[in-house]
Amino acid sequence: MRRASRTAETSDAVEFERLLRDHVPALYRSAYRWTGTVDRAEDLVQQLLVRLYPRLAELRELDQLRPWALRVMYRIFVDQLRRERSSPVQFGAEPLVDDESHVDDEAWLDPAPGPAELAEQQIVQESLLRAWERLGDEHRAVLSMHDIEDYTLPELAQIMEVPLGTLKSRLHRARARLRELLAAERMIAEDRV
Amino acid sequence: MTGKDPQDPDVADDDYQTLRRALRRMPTPEPRAGFVERALARAAAQQRETQALLPARLRHFLSRWETWAGAALGAAAAAAVAFFLVRPIDTAVNEQPQLALTIHETRNVDVLIDSERELKGATIRIAASGSIALDGFDDAQHADWQTDLDRGSNLLSLPVVARTAGKGQLVAVIEHGGRTRRVAVELTVIDPEASRS
Repeated sequence: MRRASRTAETSDAVEFERLLRDHVPALYRSAYRWTGTVDRAEDLVQQLLVRLYPRLAELRELDQLRPWALRVMYRIFVDQLRRERSSPVQFGAEPLVDDESHVDDEAWLDPAPGPAELAEQQIVQESLLRAWERLGDEHRAVLSMHDIEDYTLPELAQIMEVPLGTLKSRLHRARARLRELLAAERMIAEDRV
Repeated sequence: MTGKDPQDPDVADDDYQTLRRALRRMPTPEPRAGFVERALARAAAQQRETQALLPARLRHFLSRWETWAGAALGAAAAAAVAFFLVRPIDTAVNEQPQLALTIHETRNVDVLIDSERELKGATIRIAASGSIALDGFDDAQHADWQTDLDRGSNLLSLPVVARTAGKGQLVAVIEHGGRTRRVAVELTVIDPEASRS
């Protein structure tokens, strides 16, 4: 009986690995972009795998495992952020913007100094990296999934479990914030020159 | 450039598209050597540890979330003493049932969780306080785990042991999607020897 149980456990572990192995590097890269550090990215992916393992039966039935896993990972990530924000120990992340349910069309006309001068050849990659590091976790997550990993807005609305309008607003704010940080980084860089 | 999202309001913003291209060139490290294998192995190991920690009797119940008909039969077979109807997870629960146990007695307290829809990855937290503890947990008074709840009735059978005379409370908290529901059972532990003296 015990041997049968061990065999089943081994077989589950093998199947779990077969299903997930190819997706873990991509999930890790997402986690790294969201969190900005190797340790936090590894922790996030580890938590995801621990969370997914008991759901092996469900995983077997999925046609699109990666977006589904990404959604679970995003939920874990957001839960972590909430815990960190309610913790007496603060991690310096930007607060979540709660009132994002309405998107004013005019809000898309960004009045901030547009980075017209940010022609591709002028962008200093190091400035962008520093700006990215200073960006809040939530902003990094939405930009990472939409602007780097190419999830569409409807796909992201499902992954992040937010209405499309809220998501557009969040994406817009994230981009605006990145532009601000990048402009600041460029000013610092120019001062150094 | 690939990945243009027609719903993206900044799709025609050349400045932003330039910035986006730069974002895509940002270096992102691959997982450290051995991380993928270790992480997969740890997930499997953690599951085995979790299973090993659950006492056999509780694991038996936890592994089979039953429908109402099955639950009724299962409860009868386990000589269950009480059912607590936790209404659909977003409605209030007002019941506060009470039970009496004799000191050192072990009894199954059954909690019925009636969910209006299937809930994936619900978290269940159990806390025993006062004169009682969770039997088989080495006197532990807390346990929590994740599970999927079926639509309809799900039975949770909790083995409780009466440790000392006095009052005790068993609380089950079900969390899902940011919503939380709680059901509490008040227990009184009686010591017949003390009553006689």
